[in-house]
Amino acid sequence: MTEGQRTRPADAARRGRDNILIWQAALVVGLLAIWEICGRLTGADQVSSPSRIIRTIMVWLGGELYPHLFTTLGELACGMAIGCSLGILAGLVLGRMPIVSLILRPIIVGLYSVPLVTLAPLFIMFFGLDLLPKIVLVSMVTFFLLFFNTFTGAQQVDEDYLRTLDLMGASKFEQFRKVVAPATAVWIAGGIRIALPYALVATITGELLATRSGLGFLISRAAERFDMTSLYAVLLILMTIGLLLSEAALRLEHRFLRWRQVAE
Amino acid sequence: MAPPATQSAVVGTGATRLPGAVGSGSGPQSSLERFFATSAGRVGARLLLIALILLAWEYAPVARATRFWMSSPSAILGTLWDWLFDGTIWAHLESTLLVMSEGYVVGCVAGVGIGFLLGFFSRLSRVLAPLLAGFYALPKIALAPLFVILLGVDNSSKIALVAVTVFFLVLTSTIDGVREVDRNTVNALALMGATRTEIIRKVLIWAALPWIFTGMRLAVRYAFTTTLLAELIAANRGLGFLIELNSGNFNTTGAYAAIVVVIICSVLLTELLSRLESRMSHWVS
Amino acid sequence: MNDLTPARAVAADAGTPAAKIRLLCAEKTFQVRGQDIEALHPTDLDIRPHEFMALVGPSGCGKSTILNMMAGLMRPTAGEVLYDGQPVTGPNRRVGYMTQKDTLLPWRTTKDNIRIALELKSHATPRAEAEDRVRQMIELVGLKGFENHTPAELSGGMRKRAAMARTLIYEPETLLMDEPFGALDSQLKLLMLDQLQCLTQHRRMSVVFVTHDLGEAITLSDRIVVLSARPGRIRAIHDVKLERPRDVFKVRFTPAFSEQHERLWDELKDDIIKGTDV
Repeated sequence: MTEGQRTRPADAARRGRDNILIWQAALVVGLLAIWEICGRLTGADQVSSPSRIIRTIMVWLGGELYPHLFTTLGELACGMAIGCSLGILAGLVLGRMPIVSLILRPIIVGLYSVPLVTLAPLFIMFFGLDLLPKIVLVSMVTFFLLFFNTFTGAQQVDEDYLRTLDLMGASKFEQFRKVVAPATAVWIAGGIRIALPYALVATITGELLATRSGLGFLISRAAERFDMTSLYAVLLILMTIGLLLSEAALRLEHRFLRWRQVAE
Repeated sequence: MAPPATQSAVVGTGATRLPGAVGSGSGPQSSLERFFATSAGRVGARLLLIALILLAWEYAPVARATRFWMSSPSAILGTLWDWLFDGTIWAHLESTLLVMSEGYVVGCVAGVGIGFLLGFFSRLSRVLAPLLAGFYALPKIALAPLFVILLGVDNSSKIALVAVTVFFLVLTSTIDGVREVDRNTVNALALMGATRTEIIRKVLIWAALPWIFTGMRLAVRYAFTTTLLAELIAANRGLGFLIELNSGNFNTTGAYAAIVVVIICSVLLTELLSRLESRMSHWVS
Repeated sequence: MNDLTPARAVAADAGTPAAKIRLLCAEKTFQVRGQDIEALHPTDLDIRPHEFMALVGPSGCGKSTILNMMAGLMRPTAGEVLYDGQPVTGPNRRVGYMTQKDTLLPWRTTKDNIRIALELKSHATPRAEAEDRVRQMIELVGLKGFENHTPAELSGGMRKRAAMARTLIYEPETLLMDEPFGALDSQLKLLMLDQLQCLTQHRRMSVVFVTHDLGEAITLSDRIVVLSARPGRIRAIHDVKLERPRDVFKVRFTPAFSEQHERLWDELKDDIIKGTDV
């Protein structure tokens, strides 16, 4: 294959991508324009309009948004941190105990399928209206997802690797650090990727049910006042957060997956 | 010290090349371990574990206040018993299942239809991709208040929420399924002179089916969860409402009882799905 | 070697070749679906200190079983395995074991895989020195240029060499190797045999070495144990009377070598022919 032949398909692909980008831009601009026109023509609150939404967001960015943003992200981060660390720990420990894991497996699988987010009202009843119930809810949801993934990963560690290290004189702890932990890392990263959207749902659910701040609170406040512009604005912000989180989780997983991709 | 897994060392090092030497030989050492290695032993251990937890829950010597918060298995069972006969459970269950199934069907039909459309017109789907990704990443539950405003507090707002959730799951798996179809088969048919519609009818739809089923199976659980969440947030019927109502009244026993119903439902749902799946996989292959 | 027991020290002083590893009536039976299958007939075998011993025989003659028992990964069904006079009951940390499967950690690069033993407390090595030894080892096994590849990116032969480097780098006093050169082409194999001989002679290691290749066995060993097909039992033990140091590249063309090869082949051929049509 000569240089010229090799570059031609790449060129075509790039041109195709550029075309797609133009189309995407056109689509977004078109949709926004139609929305704007409809909004102006009807003047109805339900429709609102992109310009009004942008204006609301700009006003919020002046200061009002940050406490709510920090509440939501703080609950998410705390809950994830607690749930992930406990889940990983429990998964690693129980996953390396063959008999215990044999006994517990079906119980865990059963619990895994239960929609734990529905415990939200219970936690609000226990822990009040502030951050605590949401943090507990998020950590509970992420705990199970991380536990299940780590547990499965830890069980599938190749015993031959452990035996090799054992003969080299590695202590149990060293075997754990050098083999079990890195072998399970891929599963953990996958677990975090799955858990993030769940955690976001749990946070928002908790905030929609009862709260005094947070993005969920902004949504319920806007809904109570029939303030559709604010409602759309929060949804837009949430969408952005969701996209950023899923992108970050994907990158994390790819980092850990690099060696495995080559293997396949 | 010698691990019970020594046999896999035999296989791993290719020691003897005896067929099926795994799980033979020395095996577990203590009699307790040998007992748990049998399936009866494992089931027994599980039942024992659950019984112990329930007993501890029931008879743990705790203060009155603590007892109020943790309730007790007997009280929960009593509430469930009452609900079973005064029809409470059935009314709420019916509402939940109705919302769930209606939203599910709407979401699936729309998801498969639009998924095929976008799968066939790959340019269109590439143009729409960022938009879809954005909606995919949005926690759908945040749409609940919007739907309530637009459609009212009754079932239609919840059905819409479930349908949207299901729609995006089924949509992505359908698009993936159509895209992953073996290009060689398509090319071979095209060389035979098959028209575009013939290729779609004869190959693409069938090849995408397993993917679609996977998405639809996954969506069942999401539909269940979303229904419950929607009922938590705004409803006057359904299992989610039952949890929310009892928690709101600080009726811990009632809240636990409602959660027990949810757990039973989700376990049954899982069981049903895995049965259906094994039936399906027979049929697909 | 700060853990020399008095008994061993005396033996070494007296110059008597006490056994490094000793099988005493060791036998191994596997249960396959309730049936007992005898993999190794009760066997006595001594491996002398600093000896290079090869185990040859048809497939399924219990060669790897013997190695597994010496490494303490497998207990004999009856009888005993002694190491330095002590019964082996758990994983034997005094040996380096290179199994047939290479067990390189897939998430580590070649150089990180080779270094792993030096990261452990039992072989703790300063970072700079460890780097140095890893580099030497990589050069020794000819993996220069592949330091930063993961195992999945290496060929079968390269993986074997990486596994060997990983085992040799911490210089265990005894080396157990299960067909270490199986996947190598013949040129490379000669180079590796040369390196292995240098290293083991220099460090005065005891080596037990399973192979299918009689030439390989004669080139390297002091003694060759010929095993018979299942149930494995010792058919003969041959002393290799070739002068050390041996030139790996030329020794195979000497008359003594051919004579040894012929004797071994006569011993083995019935079993091998029997083994292949099973």
